Amino acid sequence: MNRFLAFTKKEWMEQIRTFKTLIVFLILLLFGLTSPLLAKLTPEMLKLFPIEGLNLAIPEPTWMDAYAQFFKNMTQMGVIVLLLVFNGLLSQELSKGTLINMLSKGLPRSTVILSKFTAASILWTLSYAVSALANYGYAVFLFGNPFPPHLFFACLSLWLLGELIIALLLFATTLVSGNYGGLLLTGGVLCLLLLISILPQSAPFNPITLGSGNMGLLTGDTALGDMASACIVTVVLIVLCLAGAILRFRKKQL
Amino acid sequence: MENLMQYIPLLIPVIALEFILMVTALVHVLRHPQYRFGNRVFWVIVVLFVQIIGPVVYFVAGRGEQ
Amino acid sequence: MDILSLSHISKRFGRLPVIKDLSFSVPEHSVFGFIGKNGSGKTTTMKMILGFLSMDGGEIKVCGEKVVYGSSKTNRFIGYLPDVPQFYPYMTPKEYLALCGKVAGLSAERTAKRSQELLTLVGLDGIDRRIRGFSRGMNQRLGIAQALLSEPKLLICDEPTSALDPIGRKEILDILAVAKTSTTILFSTHILSDVERVCDNIGVLDEGVLKLEGNLNDIKNSYRQDTALISLADPGRNQELMEGLSQLSIIKGCTEKERDVVVRFTGTEAARRQILELLLSRNLPLVRFELLEPTLENLFLEVVQ
Repeated sequence: MNRFLAFTKKEWMEQIRTFKTLIVFLILLLFGLTSPLLAKLTPEMLKLFPIEGLNLAIPEPTWMDAYAQFFKNMTQMGVIVLLLVFNGLLSQELSKGTLINMLSKGLPRSTVILSKFTAASILWTLSYAVSALANYGYAVFLFGNPFPPHLFFACLSLWLLGELIIALLLFATTLVSGNYGGLLLTGGVLCLLLLISILPQSAPFNPITLGSGNMGLLTGDTALGDMASACIVTVVLIVLCLAGAILRFRKKQL
Repeated sequence: MENLMQYIPLLIPVIALEFILMVTALVHVLRHPQYRFGNRVFWVIVVLFVQIIGPVVYFVAGRGEQ
Repeated sequence: MDILSLSHISKRFGRLPVIKDLSFSVPEHSVFGFIGKNGSGKTTTMKMILGFLSMDGGEIKVCGEKVVYGSSKTNRFIGYLPDVPQFYPYMTPKEYLALCGKVAGLSAERTAKRSQELLTLVGLDGIDRRIRGFSRGMNQRLGIAQALLSEPKLLICDEPTSALDPIGRKEILDILAVAKTSTTILFSTHILSDVERVCDNIGVLDEGVLKLEGNLNDIKNSYRQDTALISLADPGRNQELMEGLSQLSIIKGCTEKERDVVVRFTGTEAARRQILELLLSRNLPLVRFELLEPTLENLFLEVVQ
């Protein structure tokens, strides 16, 4: 336990001193703040600068647009930020050899994986929570409606998708070597899941639902049961990814 | 126009965050003259003129290790 | 008691055998010099001892406990200095050693005390900047400090001096000489003068097998006095001498080296007598006849040729 805490603290120090904390926190917070603003201001701007020959009937934006913007930003840019920032989580230490000293002191390999997952999770969780709160505050201020249906669940599921991406990155890094192998494999898996999500029947089992069905929860287009079962599948996948990462990492030649 | 003016206070935190990101990156670019690629002038321009993405790209890809 | 013992280790990379039936042991409080050319399998062997690489056969024991690949358990006895140690560049040496201490399961007080002692020993005391700008020599010294932090029973150093300039090398060897008093050292190198300075026992690894193993002095003694240097008053007659020598059955070979003749033979007593008889019979006036100390270099070349 002491080793776990020590190594997790080392991860935090690394995040802070290599500016990962700053990047993830600020970028996610910016998404949170700008999403409702964009939803509100884009139509106003279009009204202000009418395009010749184009007479768009712009509907008045609603609270839904604010959240739609937020979920869209988070699932696209948010995922990219996560992938880029946490790509080196394990691969960089393996390619540079910085883990050798730690492992030669008796640090169990499972602790390495669990510490890294914990530290990355906490950064993601905190940043995402602050961002979602900022988004909520701005959305309520601009559009009213402080109690959209299932908003918490919609946010929670997207958070869970982020957790899966972190676990997947760790597992992928133990499967393929190189600085970007894990990133490519993770990207590949996500693309595959995205392709599968074209089939509507896959929704209750596909983790992608956690990032695509959020607005549906608010509007009622996504069945709660579908989202709940996708969440369960994702939790199982996270556990499997971590277990796989530990098993593979134990057999990794260093 | 007046319609838009009322949103200025809401924009201030956004601008402040972008500014923090930019300044942190700029200070780092100037104080650590080694980069994985590119040179100082290149990174100063990227950080100053490419909003948000510029500093992120610098910290993720351009920042030298040594 | 043997701190480290390897029995019948074999290892292949793909189909290429790197280590073939390697066995040796390192007794407590000795310095074992692990000698071999680049690519002879030294690093591979060390990584197997640390459980970083799998073995295809055999068994390694550290302090009597079996090493299991992928497990870090036996590493609690070991301090390891990799050939090019890598640290977290964003930490200061103190912070790094504090992390090492926690990872090795030491108490905070003990870590603080040991860190202070070791940083003083390796000459990094008072350096509070981050590791990112350290020179190779400083990295190597910090590497020794982290390896010795937990007062390991076995210190494994992988070519600790190879990448350093002569001053850096001397510093590292001096530190190892101090460490020698409190721990057992396994130390790989291809720099033979380093071996002669610090090692008690040596093992010469070549093509995956130990070609030579034992106490350094014993080995040198057993190879002693098989080479002699002959200086004639008239170097112009060296050819005549060499021709005469080559007819003697106990002579293994002779070469002209500058103005002298270097001769290798078996059986010291008989050889000395026969060589001197030859000199007398041919009336070759002698200036110098000297038995040469075997250098480790000659030994090494002979063993691995």
